[in-house]
Amino acid sequence: MSNSGKDSLSRDASLEQGRAAGEPPARANRVSKEYVGGKIVALDDVSLDIRENQVTALIGPSGCGKTTMLRLIAGLEYPTRGGVEVYGQPILGPGPERGMVFQAYTSFPWLSVLKNVEHGMKIQGLPRDARRARAEKFLKLVHLDDFADSYPVQLSGGMKQRVAIARTLAQNPQLLLLDEPFGALDAQVTWEMEEMIIEIIESENKTVILITHDIQEAIYLADRIIFFTRQPGKIKADMPMEFKGGRRFLRKEDLLSEPGYVDMEKLLYQMMREEIQGRVS
Amino acid sequence: MMAENKSESTSNTESTVPGTGTGGTLEKAPLYKPPKERFLEVRGSVGRNESLILGLAGVVAFFGIWEICHYLTPESQQKFLPSVEQVVGKIYGLIRDKGYFSDIGKSVYRIYLSFTVACLIAVPLGLLMGCFIKLRALINPTVGGLRYLPAASFVPLLLVYFGPTDFAKMALLFLGCVFFLIALILDNVLSVPKELIESAQTMGASRRHIVLKVALPAAAPQILDSMRNMIAVSWTYLVIAEIVAATDGIGAVMMRAARFLHVDIIMGGILTIGILGVLTDISFRLAARFLFPYQYARH
Repeated sequence: MSNSGKDSLSRDASLEQGRAAGEPPARANRVSKEYVGGKIVALDDVSLDIRENQVTALIGPSGCGKTTMLRLIAGLEYPTRGGVEVYGQPILGPGPERGMVFQAYTSFPWLSVLKNVEHGMKIQGLPRDARRARAEKFLKLVHLDDFADSYPVQLSGGMKQRVAIARTLAQNPQLLLLDEPFGALDAQVTWEMEEMIIEIIESENKTVILITHDIQEAIYLADRIIFFTRQPGKIKADMPMEFKGGRRFLRKEDLLSEPGYVDMEKLLYQMMREEIQGRVS
Repeated sequence: MMAENKSESTSNTESTVPGTGTGGTLEKAPLYKPPKERFLEVRGSVGRNESLILGLAGVVAFFGIWEICHYLTPESQQKFLPSVEQVVGKIYGLIRDKGYFSDIGKSVYRIYLSFTVACLIAVPLGLLMGCFIKLRALINPTVGGLRYLPAASFVPLLLVYFGPTDFAKMALLFLGCVFFLIALILDNVLSVPKELIESAQTMGASRRHIVLKVALPAAAPQILDSMRNMIAVSWTYLVIAEIVAATDGIGAVMMRAARFLHVDIIMGGILTIGILGVLTDISFRLAARFLFPYQYARH
């Protein structure tokens, strides 16, 4: 952990100021996002603040605006109305302080695993030795240190996502944006990955925004769950996971026996059902 | 350790239950014999040796049919369909007596030089058009239209401009493939997954970095494949390019032979171009293995 203090990955001064002034890591201010000339309203006048060092899960039925919201924060798209800010600064495009892990595999196939993890730091101009050391640290964190010289084609789906997570963490983002990162993985691998994410959050202390359609996953990983409705996309509920009492569980089964867990799961399933039944599908 | 012990104990109990192995050494189950694969099995399998043998069989069959056709032709007409050995013998004769190698060298030189120049233009243009949509809107309609102009129709124009020079021939070879090459490379760059570009953007990559360090290497294997396909087209234009007032090159040798009805030389030229084409194809495939080892990496 002492490494992260020594590395020279620069941070935008204005963002640091905003952070010091208590601005939230991400804020949506009356955001609307329309597609196809207003025929599809992915987000409709949505405001929200993301809190520092929290894991916030955005969930909801398919086609709700959850992924759109994440892409707005990432700077990969812009809102139709309203504004999105990072530490009080309006978002003018993607930036390394907002690292993103995609559902699709995004490892560069022509680079070894180690070079992939180094890539973000290379873009930011970190010297070679510092880069190498930091990449090795994060490969260890995602249990891939034995595969540093492999190419992505040689890895399983879960391993590829671990490369993506290591690569994103290594660029030292203040916000970690996870866009259904385990959506393409099978149930057992997903579960291993979830526990690994908990380990990482505990050791790295990041602000995380997680998109998922998996209710259990949201409850397990998140400190706060925001439920989105579909067409128009609005916030249906904003729920802190109070029953966890601020704890994170390194083993998923420990969560299941926690009083309050079943109620929360039931509530979310009910919400999901309401949303699905509200439409003719 | 735990897992190992467990699996051992379960396999032991299993062996005692059916009563086959009498507590001693475990007998393996008999080898499974899959149903015999028919020759025409939908999505069947083919081994490395098998595919080599089949490939050779195809080549032998081709020359065999040629040979049969030769012997079925009435003797008086056989000079219009020479046998395989006559054509091969003629190629050998050309090499020995007529300096055929220098003609081959000249043709290869024209193809490779014109194709290299075409690539030097098509790769940057296709790459930039694939990365920047406004450049694509600006350039693509024009380049897309130019593809429909038959290269052969440029021959008179090139003759007026450059005369019967080497340059005119290479210009024709260049025009024959450059527009297709641009269109193919554009498609190759456009098919780079969006997420690859976006993940580079969220790492803070500059435009330059995305074009040169993400889009280019991501599309490179497909670009090489497009080149391999287009250089084949370039070979098909060779004879047209060398028809006009050429004194050297495979095409010129063939045109001279046509005047004297030397069908064996003409067919020798066709065969030579075919062989050179196959060698080019093989060299591109080898280059792919060398340039993109990660595509062939396995555990």
